[in-house]
Amino acid sequence: MAKAWFTLNVNDKKRRVKIEPDEPLLWILRDDLDLTGTKFGCGVGECGSCSVLIDGIARRSCRVQAQNVSSGQKIVTIEGLGTRENLSPLQKAFVEHTAFGCGFCTPGMIITATALLALNPNPTREEIIEAMDNNLCRCGSYPNVIEAIMAFTNGTKP
Amino acid sequence: MEVTRRQFLKSLGSSCLLYAVSYVPGSGMQKIYSEPWPADKEDIECRFYALDTNYLDCFAFHEDGRVTVLAGRTELGQGFETVLNAIVTQGLDIPSNRLTIVLGNTDVCPDHGPTVGSSATEQVAWGIWEACSQLRKDIIRRAAKTHKLQVKDLIYQGGVVRSKREPERVIKPVETGRGEIVYMTLDPQASSSDRVTLEYKDLGLDNVNAESIVTGTRKYASDLKLPGTLYADWHIPPYHRKLTRIKSVDLADARATSGVNRVERIGSKVVALAERYNDVVKTLTRVKSVWEKPNRPKELRVEEEIRAGAVFQEIKEQTGDVNAGLASSYKTVTETYRTHYTAWAPIETYSALAKMEPGGDEVTIWSGSQYPHRVRELASLSLNLPESAIHFIHSPVGGAFGGKVAPPVSQEAADLSRRVGAPVKVIYSRKNQFQKRGLYKQACVFDFSTGVGTDGRLQARKLDIYQDLGEGTRDTYAAPHILIKHYRTDMPVNQANTRGTSYVQIGFAQESHMDMVAKAIGHDPFEFRRNNVVLESFVPLIDACADMIRYPRSGLGPDEGIGIGLCNHGARQMGVAAAHVKVNRKTGKVHVKEICAAYDIGTIINHRTVTTCLRGGMIWGLGWVLREEVKLDGHSVYTEHLTDYGVPRFSDTPEIKLQFLDNERPGKPRGCGELAVIPTVAAIANAVYHAIGVRFYTTPITPEKVLKALGKT
Ligand code: FES
Ligand code: FES
Repeated sequence: MAKAWFTLNVNDKKRRVKIEPDEPLLWILRDDLDLTGTKFGCGVGECGSCSVLIDGIARRSCRVQAQNVSSGQKIVTIEGLGTRENLSPLQKAFVEHTAFGCGFCTPGMIITATALLALNPNPTREEIIEAMDNNLCRCGSYPNVIEAIMAFTNGTKP
Repeated sequence: MEVTRRQFLKSLGSSCLLYAVSYVPGSGMQKIYSEPWPADKEDIECRFYALDTNYLDCFAFHEDGRVTVLAGRTELGQGFETVLNAIVTQGLDIPSNRLTIVLGNTDVCPDHGPTVGSSATEQVAWGIWEACSQLRKDIIRRAAKTHKLQVKDLIYQGGVVRSKREPERVIKPVETGRGEIVYMTLDPQASSSDRVTLEYKDLGLDNVNAESIVTGTRKYASDLKLPGTLYADWHIPPYHRKLTRIKSVDLADARATSGVNRVERIGSKVVALAERYNDVVKTLTRVKSVWEKPNRPKELRVEEEIRAGAVFQEIKEQTGDVNAGLASSYKTVTETYRTHYTAWAPIETYSALAKMEPGGDEVTIWSGSQYPHRVRELASLSLNLPESAIHFIHSPVGGAFGGKVAPPVSQEAADLSRRVGAPVKVIYSRKNQFQKRGLYKQACVFDFSTGVGTDGRLQARKLDIYQDLGEGTRDTYAAPHILIKHYRTDMPVNQANTRGTSYVQIGFAQESHMDMVAKAIGHDPFEFRRNNVVLESFVPLIDACADMIRYPRSGLGPDEGIGIGLCNHGARQMGVAAAHVKVNRKTGKVHVKEICAAYDIGTIINHRTVTTCLRGGMIWGLGWVLREEVKLDGHSVYTEHLTDYGVPRFSDTPEIKLQFLDNERPGKPRGCGELAVIPTVAAIANAVYHAIGVRFYTTPITPEKVLKALGKT
C-alpha cells in the first residue's frame, strides 16, 4: 500500500502524518505523534490498554486504521486529559486510590472510565464493572479502580 | 559490586559525600543468589537461594541538600520505589523532592540479587532503614570532628546537623567531607551509641510514580525511542522449542513486504526488522518455514508423564515413622492432586531497546528486569563483550511476575543492534509473549496419605511432591510422623515461577486435602486447622478470617459456600484467607463473592502499597484456580490470546476485606506479595466444595469441569 497524507485531530491539535492507510492509529499516536501513553498490549482489541476517545467514545486504537478516522473526528489520548501539574479529577482519584500496580494498563482504564462517566455520571458498581470489563489488568488493580471511580462519583447512585 | 571512586565521581559529580554501606554477615541482610546458568538450556528462569553477604547500598549527600540513593532490586509495579522513598525520607529526614532513588542501573547500582519472592522490602528496604539510623550518628560524629564541636551538642534534623546551643548553626553532611567516600559496615545489633533511634511511621504516601502513570508520561521500555530505531520481532516454531529444529525457511514473500527493512535467519531463528511495528507484524505473517515434527506422541498425559519421568531429589522432611503412624491412625485419607500450566501474561509484552556503539564494543540496553546484573552477565556472554561494556538501564515494567528476571529480549535487542548498526527495539507480539520462551508455571502432582486420630489431631503425613521447580511449602501442619519427598521431572515445556512462587500448587493441593481429612472425621475445616497448625500464631489469623466472613453462618444461599486456606511462607510470613463463593448450576461458573484475609507480616511500611499488592495477588490467585490455563499438548502450545488464556477481569472481582495482625509479632517488615495468592486459591477451592460437595482434584476449576461433576454434560 502506498503512503498517503492524513490529517488527524488529536488532543485538540491538527496533526498531519504520511502513512500507509491501514496503519493502526495506535502506532501513529506512539511513533509519529510521540503520544506513548497509549499502550500496546495485544494489538487485537483484547486488552484495552490502547484505548483512546474518538468523539467521546472509548475505542481500541490498535483496531482503528488511519483510513477510517476522518479529520473531523476528535481523538483524545491520555495525554489530552490532564497533565502532571493539572490532573483531571478522575486522574486524581486514580492517584488517591492507587488504582494501578505497574501502571501499564492505567491510561486505557482512565480513558474507558472517562467515556463511561460522560454517558453515565453516576454509575453503580455493577455498571462500572460492565463498562470496564474488557480492560484487562494483570496486576489486579480492579478493586482499586472500582473504588477510584466510585469515589469520583461519590457513589451516590442507589 | 566494586565501588570505584571513578564510577561515583562520574555519576554524581565530585562535590558530594558518599557513603558505601555494607551489612555484616549474619545480620539477616541477605542477597538472593541464583544458581549458575545451565549451559544446556538456552533460556530458563533461574532458581534462587539466599546467602548472607556484604553488599553495598550507596548514599550520596550533595551540596544543594539533595540525596541520591543507589540501591539494588527494581521497581516492578509492586511499589518498591514508594517503599524506599518512605523509608529514606523518614530515615534521613528530608522531603521527597530532595531525594533521588536510582534502581537497576548496572553502572552504578549494587548487585543485590533478583527482585523475587517479595523479599525486596524485608531485605533491602529495611537494611536501608537501619543504615539511615547509623548514618545519622556517623554524620553527627563527622560534623563534630570537622567543626570542632561536641557530639552531645549536636543533633541531626531536616537532613543537616544542628547545634543545640546555637540553633542558627547548620552543618550540611557534604561539609564534613566533599568528594570523600566513607565505607561503613552496619551491624543491626549495634549498640545504641552507634545509632540514632528512629521509629518508623506509616504516612500513607501516594505511589511515587502515580502522577506519571495516570498522565501516560511514564516511559516503559516499549515507549523509548532513539533516532533511527528499528522495530524487531521473531518468527517462532509451531512446536515446543526444545523438541524441534528448523528444516528450511522461505523468506521471499516476507522480503517483498513493503516497509520491511530486513528479514533474516539467524541460526534457527527468523527475525523481521522495520521502521514501523506494523510492518514487522505483516512481514512475520509471510515467513514460510518448515520445522521438524517432535519425536514423541502428540497427546500429553500430564500426570502419567510426570510420574514416568520422575527423578527423586531429596527427602524434604522426616520425623517419626510415617508408615506406623498411618497404620495406627483412626482414619487415613489418601488422595492425589494435579495442577495445570499457566503463564505470566503481563500486559506489557517483552520489550527492550538497545543501542550498540559504532565499532560494536559498547552497548546500552533499556528494558525492564527483575535482575539487571544478571542481564548484563548474560549479555556479556552472548555478545562476547566484557561486562563493563554493557550498560543496562532498568526501565519501568508493565508487569513482571517472575517472568522478567533476565529474559532474552535484552540480549536480542543488543545483538540485532550490532548486526544492523542502528538502535533496535524488540517488542514481542502477544503470541510470542505466550509461546516463544516455552516457560510456564508447572503442572505438578501431589500424592498425600494422611492419618488422623479420634481427637482430630493429625498423626501422620506422607507426601510425595512431583514438581520440577521449587520445593513445596514450609510446613503448615504439625504431626508426630512426617515423610515428605520431592521428585523432579522433565516435560516438553520448561518450568518457571510466577507470582506466588512454586508454593501456589502445593497450597492448593495441601489445603484441599486438609479439608478432606477434616471431613473424614466430621470436623469443621476452620476448627480442624486451629487444632493442627504448626504455629500457634495462625490461630488469631484464622479467627480474624472467620470473623470477617461471618463463619459459621446460617442462611447461605443455595450453592453458596465458604472455604479457608492457610499459607506459611517461610515461617516469617503467614497468611490466611477465607472465600465465599456461589456456583451457578446452569453455567458451571464459580462466582467469588467475597475474600477475607488476615496476615502477619510485621511492620507495614506503606499500608496503601501493601493493600494494593495483596488485593492484586488475590485476584491472581482467583485467576489461577478458576480461569487461566495454557493450552498445550505433547507437540505445541495453542494459547496466543489474553482472552482464551483467561486473565481475570473486572467481572471476576470479589469484595475484599483485609486485616493485618502485625501487632502479634511486630518487627521488621516481612514482605507479602506471594502471600496473597496462596491462601486465596485454597480458600476458593474449599468454598466450592462447601457449596456443591464436589472436590476437584485437578485445576483449574472451569465451568466445564463443574458441569461435568454435577452430571450436566
Ligand atoms: S493493544 Fe489494543 S486492545 Fe490490546
Ligand atoms: S497496573 Fe499492571 S497491568 Fe494494570
